[in-house]
Amino acid sequence: MLKLIISHEARQMMRTGALWSILALLVAAIVFAAWAGGRSIRRQVEGAQAAETFENGLRNHMRADTEKYQARVKAQGGEYQFAAVRHSPGKGPPQGTNAGAVGAETSKYVTLPPTGLAALSVGQSDIQLNYLPVSLATTLDMTKNLELENPVNLATGSFDIAFVVIFLLPIFILAMSYDLLSSEKERGTLAMILAHPVSIRELLASKIISRAAVMLTVVLGFGVIALFAIGTGLDTADTWIRFGLWIVATLLYSMFWFALAVLINVYGRNSASNGTVLAGIWLILVVIVPQLVSMLATTIYPTPSRMELTIASRAAQTDAEKHYMSKLDEYYYDHLEFIPEGDKKAMDFLTLSQANNNSIEKALRPLYDDFQEQLNKQETLVQRFQFLSPAIMMQLALNEISGTSSDRYEYFLDQVYAFHDQWKEYFSTKFLQRYPLKPADYDNFPEFQYREQPFGAVMARLGPSLLGMLILFLGLVLVPFLALHNYQVASR
Amino acid sequence: MIISIARKEFTEIVRDGRFKWTAAIMVLLLITAMLAGYQKYSTATRIQQAAQASTNEQWLNQGDKNPHSAAHFGNYAFKPAGPLAYFDNGISNYAGTAVFMEAHKENFAIGRPATDQSEIARFGDLSGANILQLLLPLLIIFLGFTAFSGERESGTLRQVLSMGVTNRQLLWGKALGVGTAVMVVVVPCLLAGSIVLSMAGSVDHTEDMGTRIALLSAAYLMYAGIFLFLTLAVSALTKHARTTLMVLIGFWAFTGFLMPKTASEISKFTNPTPAFGKWMADMRTHQMRGFDGVPPFVKFAKYTREVFKKYGVDKVADLPMYFVAVRLQKLEEYDYPVFDQHYGMIRNAYAEQRRVQDRFGLIDPTLPLRSISMAIAGTDLIQHVKFMTEAEAYRRNMVIKMNDYLSKAAVSLNATSSSSNYMRADEKVFARVPPFEFEPPRLGDIVAEHRSNFILLALWLAAAIGIALFAVNRIDMERN
Repeated sequence: MLKLIISHEARQMMRTGALWSILALLVAAIVFAAWAGGRSIRRQVEGAQAAETFENGLRNHMRADTEKYQARVKAQGGEYQFAAVRHSPGKGPPQGTNAGAVGAETSKYVTLPPTGLAALSVGQSDIQLNYLPVSLATTLDMTKNLELENPVNLATGSFDIAFVVIFLLPIFILAMSYDLLSSEKERGTLAMILAHPVSIRELLASKIISRAAVMLTVVLGFGVIALFAIGTGLDTADTWIRFGLWIVATLLYSMFWFALAVLINVYGRNSASNGTVLAGIWLILVVIVPQLVSMLATTIYPTPSRMELTIASRAAQTDAEKHYMSKLDEYYYDHLEFIPEGDKKAMDFLTLSQANNNSIEKALRPLYDDFQEQLNKQETLVQRFQFLSPAIMMQLALNEISGTSSDRYEYFLDQVYAFHDQWKEYFSTKFLQRYPLKPADYDNFPEFQYREQPFGAVMARLGPSLLGMLILFLGLVLVPFLALHNYQVASR
Repeated sequence: MIISIARKEFTEIVRDGRFKWTAAIMVLLLITAMLAGYQKYSTATRIQQAAQASTNEQWLNQGDKNPHSAAHFGNYAFKPAGPLAYFDNGISNYAGTAVFMEAHKENFAIGRPATDQSEIARFGDLSGANILQLLLPLLIIFLGFTAFSGERESGTLRQVLSMGVTNRQLLWGKALGVGTAVMVVVVPCLLAGSIVLSMAGSVDHTEDMGTRIALLSAAYLMYAGIFLFLTLAVSALTKHARTTLMVLIGFWAFTGFLMPKTASEISKFTNPTPAFGKWMADMRTHQMRGFDGVPPFVKFAKYTREVFKKYGVDKVADLPMYFVAVRLQKLEEYDYPVFDQHYGMIRNAYAEQRRVQDRFGLIDPTLPLRSISMAIAGTDLIQHVKFMTEAEAYRRNMVIKMNDYLSKAAVSLNATSSSSNYMRADEKVFARVPPFEFEPPRLGDIVAEHRSNFILLALWLAAAIGIALFAVNRIDMERN
């Protein structure tokens, strides 16, 4: 019986223009989102490559100088020496032999690689720079670099597949199912149908199943197409596990909206009033509650002012300068190249500059940690309040699945800080030992390799969101199906 | 006649449960948003003013040092919140708030508040402007969609027409009725907001505040009018109330959610901004190669020969100015055109992207309204770009002042070759650089820049009224 009604419903839907226009819009939105999301991720990858190529070029240049110098030393005899200060070309050992100069004047770009699904949910990746320059400068300077994006566009947000799923899909679902029972009731066909040997539960279930089947086939089908078109790492298990999770999340989220439509149909009045209520609920759950929760988080745990932090950091800088340097040192600290040739002081300036960086970083680290701490508290609050809105749960879940969440970025930053220490250790040790860098040493500079978050950590953050959506869905389904036996078949 | 139709419509709406709920939610949200916005931006303004004063203190009291070192220590420009940021915070969360002004480098504004917020801040801010842009149209739709189609369904439309009411009278009456119901909800909140603001008086530029509020009110009224007449038009054109509702909600989602993001993505495609890494690599390569292909050091060697010739000397020691300082300043100036080109490219791309998005205002009235609203609130790109430009002008002047002083005051150092000899300056010298003060764009310029957006809104309103008139004229007795 169920099968019969489903096929009847399906035939009926196929004949209405509404279904086809909704599906066409949905497909157009997915295709557009895939195109836009793909562009956004490609741009990031290109930016990372360009930055890396540039800095590697600088280092290669220094290396080439040391090679020439090595050849000269070999030909003319003498000792392969360490460059104390910058020499004019041709004279003396080149800067490339000085580890302090190499470490300070060139940066090593470290990259957070996008996951295979990054293009599906741009998340925070358009404001967090996914490639950072590591050098002897402080980590505070490093994280000041920002991705270049029009703030107007950042405020508007990306048109990615996450947007289609979170914002548009519910509208389409509700548009297809806001009048499941009410329209039949208004036309007077409901009583007639129920005169046949079919229960209202069967009727409702088949109506929902036919709609959900059509809708989800389209979403998942085009999801797969989008993945093949813009996804990366299609040969890795990681990508497919993430895609599996994406499907689970999308199913749970859509089922919630179908269940909501059923609920309103069972308890609601006429079609127009169902439509009003559903549109209102959509607005509240998808727009207002997320904005309220966000406001709550920033009001309860406000981060300190960046402006005050800047003032504090300049005070620390002046303080450090006054304690660690004489005025003279300060001047040459900025301009090593102006130190008269052969002046022994040069070495001390470079040492001083590093000591200075260390002390500034040490003084400011606690202030910066305050920011991170408040931000973590905000995120914990959001994690807790996410259950108020399926849209929040879904957004957190999709960012997590696509690897564009703040959490993964922090995981990356921790590794970058560790690498920064390693880089600093390598170059400052060599520098303090006055060890002359040879061309071969350039192959042994520390390398950065991002280690992916353990799967358990991702699941631990994803779990509550998925579970929350499941419980919400089940709760919504149970209520109307239990209440259905009181349903008034005739129009009031 | 119009008045009695309006009174009937108004009474009916106010007695409906829909009205109570939507009005209550709307009022609560508007008040919450205004209070939160006010609290946030009065604090921000206080901090910004204190910070700008402190940074100048720090500049003056950085301790005696070489003037060029002082330029390296530099200064900060802190961006003030726009005069109506508490109502519409525009791009404030996503634009930097501080520019470091130092020797040798132009810098972008850093400190984007969004980096200090959780992921869900991307759902948008609950601001007064946001509520009026998104919720107000929905409120109008909810209150007005049954105006004609509801009466048609219940059969009263025929009755009303039989009483000799003209179709136009019916339209104006209903528009007045629905409009009044909407205003009853919105106006008190906004009035309260304006009064609180004027009493608090913590906001600067009060001289044109009245004009700003008037312009904003006009823009939002036009926007509300557009949705009001479109709602009545669709209601008159559709047979069933549920169809009216679906069409209108579809249009609302299109204007408020779908179109802004579509326009933004399309503008990113037509006028792309390079990724940071690519942009940085290009600019630094350009700097090293020289703007015109002549590397800075080659250029400077040529300049040195010219200076030697001009003063008839053959070594630096005989020059009447400190040549290290001259060199610093020259190298600085060789970078100007490179900075102008590369930073300018970014600024132009942003401005072009905004213009492309504004053009989509032809199919979406929310876009021109959004642009107008944040421009008048002083939280849009125009304001931000002007801030960046002024910070760069200040930076250049600061560096020139310091290098100039050094070149004149340290002439005797030309002859020395020991690093233990150098020039030192004090607070009096640093005071040659005046404190940074941001001059916000004049309201007249802002309005001129957005003239096309005002025209678009007016066109939309005219079109909406036209469609509504066309729609009610089609109503006749036979077909109802």
